[in-house]
Amino acid sequence: MSAVTMSPTMRRLRLSLGQTVITIILVFLLVLTFVPIVYLAVLALKDNGQIYGRFWSMPNPYRWENFALGWAVIGRSILNSIITSGSACATTLLLSSLSGYVFARHRFPAKEIIYTGILALLMIPPILTLIPAYVLILNMGLENTYWALILPWTSGGQVFALLLCRSFFATLPEEFFDAARIDGATELQAFWRIAVPLSIPILVTVAVVRLVTTYNQFMWPLVAISSPKRQVVAVALTQFTSEIGVTDIGPRMAAYITASIPLVILFSFGMRQYVRGLTAGGLKA
Amino acid sequence: MIAQGWRRLAAGVLLLACWWAAIPGPVLAQSGEIWSDDLASPITGLAMSADGQRAAVGTRANEVSVRDAEGNELWTFTADNSITGLAWSEDGRRLAISSEDRFLYLLDGDTGNELGRTKASRTFNSVAISRDGSLVAGASDDMQVYVMDSQGELLWTDERGLGVEAVSIYGSGDDARVVVGADDGRLSIFSKSGRQLLSTRLDYDIKSLAVSRSGGRILAGTTDGSITLINGANGEQIWTSKADAEITDVAMSGDGQLLMARDERGNVLYLDTDGSVIRRLQQEGEIRQIALTGDGTRLAFGLADGQVQVLDRMQHSAILATAARTRNMAITATAGLVALLLAGVILLIIFTTGGRRIWVQHSVGPRRGLAAVWRARFSYLLILPTLLFLLTFNYYPAFSGLYHAFTDWNPAGHSPWVGLENFRFLMTDRFFIASFRNALILVVVSIVKTMTMPLLVAELVFNLKNRYTQYWMRTLFVVPIVLPAVVEILVWNNIYDPAIGLLNEFLELVGRPEWTRVWYGDPKVALSSVLFIGVPWVNAFALLIFYGGLISISDEIIDSSRVDGANVFRRFWNIDLPLLMGQVKLLLILNFINAVQTFELVFLTTGGGPGDSTYVPALELYYMAMRMDRMGVASAIGMILFLIILVGTIINMRYVRTATEFEA
Repeated sequence: MSAVTMSPTMRRLRLSLGQTVITIILVFLLVLTFVPIVYLAVLALKDNGQIYGRFWSMPNPYRWENFALGWAVIGRSILNSIITSGSACATTLLLSSLSGYVFARHRFPAKEIIYTGILALLMIPPILTLIPAYVLILNMGLENTYWALILPWTSGGQVFALLLCRSFFATLPEEFFDAARIDGATELQAFWRIAVPLSIPILVTVAVVRLVTTYNQFMWPLVAISSPKRQVVAVALTQFTSEIGVTDIGPRMAAYITASIPLVILFSFGMRQYVRGLTAGGLKA
Repeated sequence: MIAQGWRRLAAGVLLLACWWAAIPGPVLAQSGEIWSDDLASPITGLAMSADGQRAAVGTRANEVSVRDAEGNELWTFTADNSITGLAWSEDGRRLAISSEDRFLYLLDGDTGNELGRTKASRTFNSVAISRDGSLVAGASDDMQVYVMDSQGELLWTDERGLGVEAVSIYGSGDDARVVVGADDGRLSIFSKSGRQLLSTRLDYDIKSLAVSRSGGRILAGTTDGSITLINGANGEQIWTSKADAEITDVAMSGDGQLLMARDERGNVLYLDTDGSVIRRLQQEGEIRQIALTGDGTRLAFGLADGQVQVLDRMQHSAILATAARTRNMAITATAGLVALLLAGVILLIIFTTGGRRIWVQHSVGPRRGLAAVWRARFSYLLILPTLLFLLTFNYYPAFSGLYHAFTDWNPAGHSPWVGLENFRFLMTDRFFIASFRNALILVVVSIVKTMTMPLLVAELVFNLKNRYTQYWMRTLFVVPIVLPAVVEILVWNNIYDPAIGLLNEFLELVGRPEWTRVWYGDPKVALSSVLFIGVPWVNAFALLIFYGGLISISDEIIDSSRVDGANVFRRFWNIDLPLLMGQVKLLLILNFINAVQTFELVFLTTGGGPGDSTYVPALELYYMAMRMDRMGVASAIGMILFLIILVGTIINMRYVRTATEFEA
């Protein structure tokens, strides 16, 4: 009511006042959000003397060698993470795009029953399968190998990936495939030459989501991998001090930052796909 | 007809469940009783001579009562403080007593006359005597072992520099050997003159020891809940068996064939000679002391309420065996139940609308069906790898977990069916109960966190007029997503560091040093500290979801609300929030599922402590499986969490669906 009676100048003033308040609140929240990150970066460039002696001062001199020290300890496990996450992601993409294609475009008996059976797995929380899967891996003699990570991750990622792939493939017009068939393409050729190229966006989405998820996995590697040489970075970071005996805070913080680099790279081009993937997967489940 | 079938099925399942629940769980110990008595004070010492003709019972009320085979009192002895341990010579003619009055006594077993005593600078906590009664050893809280002869003459002492709570003696005369277990897990054997003959190391503090007559087998109970059998000749560990809690007492017959242990929770374990637990027995009252005669014919329990029971071991075992048979019947019953549930699932497929549609679509007569399958073989082949993976790594573990929740799961060997025992155990596990309370808090707080701050920020950013600021604000709030989840927790560990953490330093800086704390170490603030991690909780993912939702609200609706003169808050309540219901529902489900399974957040910060103040179910699951070797119990926890998530998800879907329908 008051807005109607106000003069245009007043309204503009009130508007800009509102905008200022919003901005102030947002900046305040941003500062709070970034405190840990800035703190991390500052500590990463100090040595223990600087941290204990001059807590509030900026690093002086900058201890860039902390990053080298951190890398020496954590580099191997970053590599482990990339290898296992990468292979699991690649296999997931291959298998789920293939079966997504079959579920979308083929007709065969019990199709919906099988599909429902697969989707039912979305209701199984990882905590239920943690110990049985560990025993399974143990019985297969795979504990402490990359396979202990790659195989379950490949399998677990498929449900979500299949969901996305099937619904995407179902939207592709039948004419494309009819044309291909007329030209004498086999089923596999149609899949590989038509369906896959058209579905690159959805496959990228699946890949980003899977990579981020597996890179962040903590509990399963903690259980399945005991050797520091094969451990992934998420777990290795937490065992930094105990395993290697490094007590300096600086190199440890530097290692935390280093461990984030693969995710920085991934998000710098895949953020949109990541969000879309999680939203789609979640909403449809 | 369908409804009738369902009702019948439900009734059947219910009936079976009732029958199954009625089958008795752990058996009580009263079976096979020879005599029992009530001494009105907690039993703190219990010993029987090798032939069972003499029994001695010590109480917290300073008294030792010596009984004959029928339980008639022969004589009594009173020390100046609580009794902590009793030991008979083989013939029952000498009784050694340790007490909190700092004395170690040697008495004549027939008359109760004192033959000698030795004083330590602090309480004696355990005692042992040689077969012939010529040598008495006691461990004291002053960290020394005292060894005296039959006249009470102190022969030698051994200073360990560490707590000693377990001592035992085997052999007689000059061949007597003193076995000592210390708090660093070291087990040492000394000659009569005090020369160390052998030393070996267990992983945890040794709390109790028992030695066979010849000294060939030594049984040790440790604080981690292990019971270890050691070869007395070379110190090698023969086997180790795990219990749920710290082992406080062990007993062994003279021939080493019968083995018993008691844990801190008052359970008594019977072990066979290769270390597997034959029975786990729970007593009505809390068992404080166990004793076994050298010939293994009698066993005795001393309870916290002052009860003493002496039992015939053979009869006792026979009754236990009957109980085992009853439990076998329970297996059959449960198998039936599982079969019925399976039948239920099949009925579900046949009789629900969705299931029937699928059924009708595909039931095309056996021959044509097979032909259709054969025609589609290529399709099956293509999805085969996916199916194999899912069956192996998802379906099989899920069912294995559900099944093994009802077993005492031993991955390397036999896993006996125990019915609801694991669940019953969890109901008495104070860590698990505490973990549930914490999980509830965690779920609520985490949902509140995601529903408020990200939504607030999304609204604020959305209401910014300047496109440029809008873009940068949104981007900056999302940047923290590049930190691995673990790193965020680890950085917060550093912020909370009591010595050099940002939080305490900041409080010092602003002149509030009295507010500084050991944030994870104080039971009052530990859970809050953990919950506070990530302040101001602008979760990037939730923010993007809400923001995406706001963008998709059409400009027309917003403009028309503006024309109507609705202010920002009215618009939020009446337009934005109802239209964001889909996003709310999604985040609600995801948050609930994740919060119930919380692990890293606690494991990496407080580890569940101090005490049980930050325990969560997933943590207890992890500890049970990986540290306690109780895979069955861990599976039971997994199953409980699964059911909670299932119910929560269903409720959530129901509730939010009605909400959107209402809005529409």
